[in-house]
Amino acid sequence: MRLAACDPAALALGLSGGMALADARARVPELAVFDHDPAADLDLLGWLADGCERYSPACMIDPPQGLLIDITGCTYRFGDDEICLAKDLKQRLRRHGLTGQIALGATPDSARAKARYAKQAIHALPVEALDAGDKVHQALRRAGLKTLQDLACRPRKAFATRFGKATVVKLARLLEEEDACITPRRHVPVVSVTQNFAEPISRTHDVLDSIATLMGKAAAQLNDRSQGGRRFEVSLFRSDGHIARLAVDTGGPTRDSALLMRLIRERIDALSDPLDPGFGYDLIQLTVPTADILLPSQAGLDTKVDRSAQTEALIDRLSVWLGRDRVRYFEERNSHIPERAVVECAAQSGQPQKNWSKPTKAEPPMRPFRLFETPQRIEALASIPDGPPRQFRWRKSLHHIVAYEGPERIAAEWWRRKAGHEQGKGGPTRDYYRVEDSEGRRFWLFRHGLYSETDAPIWYLHGLFA
Amino acid sequence: MNIKAILPKAAFPSVPNAWKQYQPSASQPLLPIGAAEVDERLHGGIVQAGLHEFFGGAKADSHAAAAFALLLAWRLPESDAGIFWVTGDKERQTSGRLYPLGLSAMGGNPSRILLVQTADLRDALRAAADAIRSKAARAVILETHGNARMVDLTSTRRLALAAAESGVLALLVRGDAAPMPSAASTRWRICSAPSAPLPGNAPGLPTFDINLLRHRGGTASFAARVTWDHATRSFFDTPLSGGLSAAVTDTEADPQQRFRA
Repeated sequence: MRLAACDPAALALGLSGGMALADARARVPELAVFDHDPAADLDLLGWLADGCERYSPACMIDPPQGLLIDITGCTYRFGDDEICLAKDLKQRLRRHGLTGQIALGATPDSARAKARYAKQAIHALPVEALDAGDKVHQALRRAGLKTLQDLACRPRKAFATRFGKATVVKLARLLEEEDACITPRRHVPVVSVTQNFAEPISRTHDVLDSIATLMGKAAAQLNDRSQGGRRFEVSLFRSDGHIARLAVDTGGPTRDSALLMRLIRERIDALSDPLDPGFGYDLIQLTVPTADILLPSQAGLDTKVDRSAQTEALIDRLSVWLGRDRVRYFEERNSHIPERAVVECAAQSGQPQKNWSKPTKAEPPMRPFRLFETPQRIEALASIPDGPPRQFRWRKSLHHIVAYEGPERIAAEWWRRKAGHEQGKGGPTRDYYRVEDSEGRRFWLFRHGLYSETDAPIWYLHGLFA
Repeated sequence: MNIKAILPKAAFPSVPNAWKQYQPSASQPLLPIGAAEVDERLHGGIVQAGLHEFFGGAKADSHAAAAFALLLAWRLPESDAGIFWVTGDKERQTSGRLYPLGLSAMGGNPSRILLVQTADLRDALRAAADAIRSKAARAVILETHGNARMVDLTSTRRLALAAAESGVLALLVRGDAAPMPSAASTRWRICSAPSAPLPGNAPGLPTFDINLLRHRGGTASFAARVTWDHATRSFFDTPLSGGLSAAVTDTEADPQQRFRA
């Protein structure tokens, strides 16, 4: 067993990562050892990255122990000074009992190398900063090239032929000659507005007020771009590092801040565990991750109420409060199996279809008004084995059938089954009967399987007619 | 459960004024059922901006009550505004889901229907009240099962007031519950009735035995048999032996009788 990492006190005693545990114990008998948990380390890193979103939306974790933050254009809240931002970050880390090596660089690679070797001058770094594999490092050292300075002042062509183009690109990035982008953990939002508080705020009323202000700012930005947001996320950064996130989705693009505030309020009301401000929020951020084009529209001169917009607003409100999947509309699917022929989609996701099949003849409805998601098993009695049912028992009561129509034969979708094309493996056929009992109730029953397919077919009740 | 907290007070300025909206007046738009004899007894139809209750005659007739309520909503002229069908999880499990292919076979347009499914009755009542008040709906149908204590005089009054204010047709399907005092303007008991069989002894068009149990400020109770015609989207009278019958007979079994004015 070896040591994975040491704390500063252990380092001061001369221990270091990679040392055998037995050796370390021999040197420091009272050594406290804990199991290495890389997953927990990664979680901590992720938590830190979330917290760093207060500085910039583009944060990236660099396992095992690095964080990269792209602060381009994000320093205005710290007096346009990167050093102040770095100080703020250092303070916050210290508050959580963490020590960090913070370095600033023009490219992610340079910042990472500076932090890793704790040096501000990139040229003084050893060639290992190239991170190009032991073979390359060894070869460079053998050639007498020990620091990046030695590499920087030599022609690159020779390096490229000897060590490959990737090494040269890496060198250029380290020396801040060529820029590279980081891949942020979260999608960089279209619009992002933040508000800092010198004193943390904790009253829900104040929080909502500042969200409203931010919403107004975001709406103005969206208006300038002729866009409307489809999703709005509010991140509440608590001073102790906890982040609460609220999100609302809208059915169509919108930048109506009054409507959005109502949605946010309902979202807060519907939270299963209410917002816990703790010691207060010191930063509130509003982001719009997705936006669509929304051109300004002119209101009509007539006084007719725009029903459609009202319906949309109601759907949004109910979806936010009850959950997106609880407000639905019907959509037809291409299947002749009754329960597969229709699906229910979230009403926020689109418009319902217009062209449902209309009854043409003066015939009674052939499909039931209500359908059971899982057909209800019944005990039915037929006069001849493959004939219509005479009576059946459902939910403990007996129904005598006085009128019937059928069977309507619906074959199974054999193409969905494995080896369904083979004889007898396509699945049982259903024989549907429309029946009316002696009390005038109409049901939709089916026998699952023909007598040629199975010995004892089972009867089911699938739907109820009006 | 405090339903008061759910509805804003501003919607109901003061109780004495609010009660006035209950009084039937000639100016209120009425929704005719379509069956001439029934409409005559109702003096033109049921109030459009009001709350109506539908009970099933027996446990197995719950879905007849739901079907009748939905068909009434379809009698309304088509518009952009949808028909909101509000149910709880429990109701959906026991009575199945609405099947749009069957709905379109009954002459309706399933794309007008918006389903709202809630976890419990409290949410369902609140969602229904929201939908009624918003004017986004043409009709709101709330389906509940069993003797729900939460659907009482107070909560139905809120729904009725909201409907009167917004002009939305509010339909409350109570399924197999026993009638309780409520603020609905009409109360019906709906049972499935034997249909006129088609050639070959096939079941015919949807037929209901309807029984008006109470009519606020209106006619005495009566019973009739009506059949739904999906081509004209209206009900028509179906001869019941002896025509329209007189009132309900089992007054003892009807607790609301005690509360009748």
